[in-house]
Amino acid sequence: MAGVASSSRQRSKIAPYLMILPALAYLGVFFVVPFFTLLKTSLSTSGGSIYLPTLSFAWKFGNYSHAFSTYQDQIIRTFTYALVATLLCLVLAFPLAYVIAFKAGRYKNLILGLVILPFFVTFLIRTIAWKTILADDGWVVTALGTVGLLPSEGRLLSTSWAVVGGLTYNWIIFMVLPLYVSLEKIDPRLIEASKDLYSSNRRSFTKVILPLSMPGVLAGSLLVFIPASGDFINADYLGSTKTTMIGNVVQKQFLVVKDYPAAAALSMVLMAIILVGVMLYTRALGTEDLV
Amino acid sequence: MASQHDGAIDPLLLSRLGASRASRRRFLGGGAAAAAAAILGPSFLAACGSKNEAGSTSTSSSESAGPATGKLRVSNWPLYMADGWVAAFQKASGLTVDYKEDFNDNEQWFAKNKEPLSRKQDIGADLVVPTQFMAARLMQLGWLNEISDSAVPNKKNLRPDLLNAAVDPGRKFTAPYMTGMVGLAYNKAATGRPIKTVDDLWDPKFAGKVSLLSDTQDGLGLVMLSQGSSIEDPTTEGVQKAVDLIKEQKDKGQIRRFTGNDYGDDLSSGNVAIAQAYSGDVVQLQHDNPDLEFVVPESGGTWFIDTQVIPYTTQNQKAAEAWIDYLYDRANYARLVVGVQYVPVLSDMTDELNKVDPKVGSNPLINPPQATLDKLKSWKAPLSDEQTQEFNSAYAAVTGG
Repeated sequence: MAGVASSSRQRSKIAPYLMILPALAYLGVFFVVPFFTLLKTSLSTSGGSIYLPTLSFAWKFGNYSHAFSTYQDQIIRTFTYALVATLLCLVLAFPLAYVIAFKAGRYKNLILGLVILPFFVTFLIRTIAWKTILADDGWVVTALGTVGLLPSEGRLLSTSWAVVGGLTYNWIIFMVLPLYVSLEKIDPRLIEASKDLYSSNRRSFTKVILPLSMPGVLAGSLLVFIPASGDFINADYLGSTKTTMIGNVVQKQFLVVKDYPAAAALSMVLMAIILVGVMLYTRALGTEDLV
Repeated sequence: MASQHDGAIDPLLLSRLGASRASRRRFLGGGAAAAAAAILGPSFLAACGSKNEAGSTSTSSSESAGPATGKLRVSNWPLYMADGWVAAFQKASGLTVDYKEDFNDNEQWFAKNKEPLSRKQDIGADLVVPTQFMAARLMQLGWLNEISDSAVPNKKNLRPDLLNAAVDPGRKFTAPYMTGMVGLAYNKAATGRPIKTVDDLWDPKFAGKVSLLSDTQDGLGLVMLSQGSSIEDPTTEGVQKAVDLIKEQKDKGQIRRFTGNDYGDDLSSGNVAIAQAYSGDVVQLQHDNPDLEFVVPESGGTWFIDTQVIPYTTQNQKAAEAWIDYLYDRANYARLVVGVQYVPVLSDMTDELNKVDPKVGSNPLINPPQATLDKLKSWKAPLSDEQTQEFNSAYAAVTGG
């Protein structure tokens, strides 16, 4: 791909290509090839022994319509959860990132460190810890029950709330960091200038700070939304039988039912929806600058 | 999965990420010992071998293991071994055992090893302990070596129901390691009354406080039996009827979760009042929470059976047979059972169990009385490919959707 026949005079032009070659090779081997394998699987029929299934490619688009019609609920649920979790992350992370960037002073690094600290504990353990916190007989549920704030199931664990909460908690760091970076980059003089022009705090926020932090908002939302859509651990541990997400279905189809084409088709659907969503979102926010 | 030791962070948990159907084996032991065993693995187990255990009971076994030399590589489920047992075997047999606890999930193990096995390449283990349905699958594929009767004279000690099982008459390829009962576990404090039948699961009083097993056979078996359907000769109608009932209850909000072996925490903490459960797990859970009970429902419970098999890629057939023979000695096996607390595969174990630990000998969950045994059924094995696929799909449509 890097102009094999080019003369030595053009070496300077080749150099950038050579430099991205390792990354391209990596993408090729670990993304492009698996992607097409997945695509091919999703259009195949499965035959032979279920223990050692043989896949034969057959342009079977029926796998897709089947995936859509059978798992419609899970698809809608998945993106609702991911969207709500992303919004919650944004609402929670923005003030935090703002404080770290503008108000923390010499405690900046300390607070950043504290934000990152919980993420040294593995994902699974952190998720399971919530089971203890949200237990039916635990003080959180008891307290919320006393003030009448429990969801209709009369519990918190094994509800949609717990799943969305888990997603928010587990992915929020990917919102905080890009937001912090983009806020930190803002030249304080711009804010001062807006104040000099008699702008209220609110106005300088909406007219100066928020627009300038958009790259962070965009990057953060993508970094939260995409993995949250594919997550299945939170639904598995914090959810109930009525909160399954696409990730759970894919996992079950791959490992238990061994319907590889169906699982592959679902994965493709997930990917396609995310891709379209991300493109629309990127266009709507009108930024090409990711942090 | 989540149920292991109280508060201790479990290193093995991480290796299981990605498997919702976790192994059915609860991690044994409550605290540091289990954690240490999980981290240190075989070296820890070997180091635990106490001198009086080693050699006292195994002279006959070591003779029959005569020709076996060298190294034996065993791949077993996590914490499915008694302290010091491997060391005692090493001492008695003169073999070196490379004991690995890397068998976490039947299907995952199969997914990982089917390629090398189909090409007859070494999989790094001379003896593996899959569950019976998986063992039957391996047998059908022709990937197992026959276990020589002359090398395993102690096979005569096997329970007759296991020895003569239709899946492998005479146990030529699959040597049972441990069995367990699938029944109902309940938290007395949460239910407020004893539980006796599967129908108790559907009592509106326990709405949202019931968990079922997500494994097809373990999850459906009890329900099918309660509906009068056979699991020894399962039919599509019988399976569908059970699936329909479970779906109805799920839609009503009766069923809180479908679980692997991670129902323990929910049960102990009272989040779940009644759970489909494995007997050995409950023995362990009872140590921490005396409110927990295990019952085989009146309509019947099911067995699960884990079996030792010798892959046809084994590097040391004789050593693997020596291991099985040593294990089938009642005195040796009693020490193993006391360690892992599942139901013995050998007959007439009461005396030997009492010698090691009278509490185990009298525990109905480890040494069940005949009345309980009479209520236990086994799934037809092997199921045909079509049945396996059909049943798995039918149940997955409820558990995964």
